[in-house]
Amino acid sequence: MEINGLSVLLFKTNIRTATDKQFMTELMQQHEINQWTVDQEDVDCVLRIVSNEVQQADVIALLSLHGYNCEELT
Amino acid sequence: MNIHLYLRLNQNDMRIRDVNKIELVKEKAVELLVKVGFEGFTMSKLAKLCNISVATLYIYYKDKDDLILQIGLEETQKLSAMMLEGFDPNFTFEDGLRHQWKHRAKSMLENPLSCQVIEQLRTSTYQEKIFESMTETFKQTLGVFMDRAVAKGEIDLMPMETYWSVAFGPLYALVRFHNEGRSIGGRPFILTDEILWASFNLVLKAFKK
Repeated sequence: MEINGLSVLLFKTNIRTATDKQFMTELMQQHEINQWTVDQEDVDCVLRIVSNEVQQADVIALLSLHGYNCEELT
Repeated sequence: MNIHLYLRLNQNDMRIRDVNKIELVKEKAVELLVKVGFEGFTMSKLAKLCNISVATLYIYYKDKDDLILQIGLEETQKLSAMMLEGFDPNFTFEDGLRHQWKHRAKSMLENPLSCQVIEQLRTSTYQEKIFESMTETFKQTLGVFMDRAVAKGEIDLMPMETYWSVAFGPLYALVRFHNEGRSIGGRPFILTDEILWASFNLVLKAFKK
């Protein structure tokens, strides 16, 4: 899906706690992903990334590598 | 059909469908907020109500907070615009107050759900972000109008709160009775033009020197 010409990638995750979010902040910085948010109020802890550089599969692989659940939100 | 023309038409169709979808989301979000409040509101409940996927909601909004904030801002801007439409701070006091009664009554009676959401927002943590811009707009029009009425000697100088309570308190009470369908002691009530303007005349009399 696109918004203003940029791809919006959406994932169901278990980024549930403040510590998880802090870790995610560092991880995203390392991979130069700047436009991302995670809705921790939602049961699915939806991770939203706006970028034309990153691929969906890469994000899933990255989060899985660090022990997080991450699947495409449909 | 020429392929470029086809694509262009198709693109427009897509845009119209997206706009309709966003409008539906906004309408249903207001309904849901009134029904379940901020705590009970979830993206999945809203998606279900709109018959769309949760993912579609997240395309347009970052999270629940972002959605409530954006929709809250739009609703307050919509109602403020209705209230101030055609208002001129140079109106005589009587004309200006009559304009305000007419437009406030109209905006509140035509948008009862939006009014309820705005009331909920007023007592929430979203309050600051949403009402900041609105307060400034009102100060520049209605604040100036009140100051001019004082300067022209049409009304006495009084605290803003006194002015507002006398000018609009009765109107808001009447609209609330109407929206609830009953007044004091559970008496059935419908706000008619006669009642509205008779009350307005009493308010006007209270201000006149």
